Amino acid sequence: MNTDSAFYSNDDWIPISEKLISARRLVVVLVAIPVIGIVIALWLIPAVPSFIAWIVAALGLVSFIWLWWLIGRRVRSYAYCERESDLLVTSGILFRRLVIVPYGRMQLVDVTAGPIDRAFGVTTVQIHTAAATTDAAIPGLVPEVAAAVRDRLAKRGESRAAGL
Amino acid sequence: MITLGSGLTDSQGHRKLSPVSPLLSAVSVLPAIIGFALAIFLPSGFSFTQNFPALRPFVAGVLVIGLASLALSIFVALFQILGWRAFSFWIDQDGDLRVRSGVLIRNERRVQLSRIQAVDVVQPLVARIFSMAVLVVEVAGQKDSRVTFRFLSLTDATEIRQTLLNLAAGTQTESTDTDSPVLFRLPSRDLALGLLLRTSTVLLFTATIAILIFSYVIEGWAGITFALVTGGVPILIVIVEFITYYGFTVYDSPDGLRLRYGLLKTENRTVPEGRVQAIDFIEPWLWRSHSWTRVAINIAGVGSSSQGSSGKNKETLLLPVAKRSVADSIVARVLPNIDIAEIDWKVAPIRASKRSPIQWRNLAMGWSANSFAARRGRITRHLMIIPHARTQSVHITQGPWERALNLASLHVDTTPGPVSVVALHLDVDEAREALYGQAGRVNQGGGI
Repeated sequence: MNTDSAFYSNDDWIPISEKLISARRLVVVLVAIPVIGIVIALWLIPAVPSFIAWIVAALGLVSFIWLWWLIGRRVRSYAYCERESDLLVTSGILFRRLVIVPYGRMQLVDVTAGPIDRAFGVTTVQIHTAAATTDAAIPGLVPEVAAAVRDRLAKRGESRAAGL
Repeated sequence: MITLGSGLTDSQGHRKLSPVSPLLSAVSVLPAIIGFALAIFLPSGFSFTQNFPALRPFVAGVLVIGLASLALSIFVALFQILGWRAFSFWIDQDGDLRVRSGVLIRNERRVQLSRIQAVDVVQPLVARIFSMAVLVVEVAGQKDSRVTFRFLSLTDATEIRQTLLNLAAGTQTESTDTDSPVLFRLPSRDLALGLLLRTSTVLLFTATIAILIFSYVIEGWAGITFALVTGGVPILIVIVEFITYYGFTVYDSPDGLRLRYGLLKTENRTVPEGRVQAIDFIEPWLWRSHSWTRVAINIAGVGSSSQGSSGKNKETLLLPVAKRSVADSIVARVLPNIDIAEIDWKVAPIRASKRSPIQWRNLAMGWSANSFAARRGRITRHLMIIPHARTQSVHITQGPWERALNLASLHVDTTPGPVSVVALHLDVDEAREALYGQAGRVNQGGGI
């Protein structure tokens, strides 16, 4: 979590699991494989001048390194905080955001995990309100923590529920 | 059992749609049928003349198209009759609305009356000729959340509408169209002028004139096609909107505001009291001398993207154009206690001009005991208001440029619709303080 954020407050912020970094980096690796294939193909096709293969390879390498580094920073920028009457989620490096969702306005809480996330043991808790723009998702929670967060949120939401 | 309207009922006492509705449905699709017949049968129509040399090609063509259209219409009408036979609706023991439909796949829907967002009576052109109407029941929900009763007689539709609204509100108030007091009636002149003076229209017209003068001076008339687009499109938009909002009238009624408008198709909408989530006063540059404003609203469950973009604007517009004082009094009717005058505005700092050189002077936010407000836009001004009790969540964002200038934007989230409440490019500390303060006010404001 970046404590230099202008949105930082003195509350009890909880960072997300760093396992998410590995999960997201694996996705980048999986995307890189076909790119490597393309570079090799360009290298082997005689009609294509070899410098084109070099350019593609260089671009691929630069974006790979950049993404590798960015994922680490992005994941570490995530943090959440359960206050007495609302939930806070902060994220982002270049475009920072901090969302506050009052427990009473939560419509439903989703816990989801894709195959890669499951393999690394991380899940996403997504909080929905009646507004489409709320976008309060906490990725990279250990399943047990995610379940506990979901149950706590659901309980608090029920006791403070308000209609539209 | 509660009876709905005064029309036809079947053996079980369930209501049926008007018996002429299959015919009306067939008539409504007649232009499409004729078009279809033209496309498919016109070539074969001309070949008729080979078999009947006495007929002239034109007559033969008309004859074939006519016969084909008639056959298709009868086919459509037969289909509609089957649909009509299968369609019935009633109020069940629990006091919910049940709608049975479907020929091949039987479907029975149960509409919880407490979930009804709006009941509208719409009169398309064809229906108006026969003084028939379409009843649309809007329910809170994501997809497929409306029930349409295609063709009831107008009096029947208004009666059913009143019964449903009464049941939904749990009251037994009687009200009819005639005795509802008129709050506002928009003169056609103001509507036309307002549409013409919108910033986009004016800019496009100016561009058109510039192109014409330029073409005249250099005698290169290639720009004319371009001028046709820049001049023609706004004219078309103005005409369409004029027809849509012609005779815009606002009535006061026990269940909220009643809006009625339209030249070719009369729309009859109800804006229920307490369903308005957020509001936006839009003031284009050239409207200010008249102190005119356009008012857009977010209503829960209405105008969400699932209903297509065409219906979106229409269903979420409270006033197409009106004097600010009139607009305020009408807004006060659906969203009481918004005290804009009491708001202590916090304006964007001067350095915000480096982020938004034009609109920075109008960027501000403020709040009162029960609502949050934000201003933005310079050429077209926006004033957005959301009650704390309707606020879903709050968030703050900061892009790289804003960070360099030590600015941040505060967003107050509301249900989907045309209004999004955002206070742009404010001082970070002020925005952050407002964010936490707003969260506190939302929690204190509680639900509804």
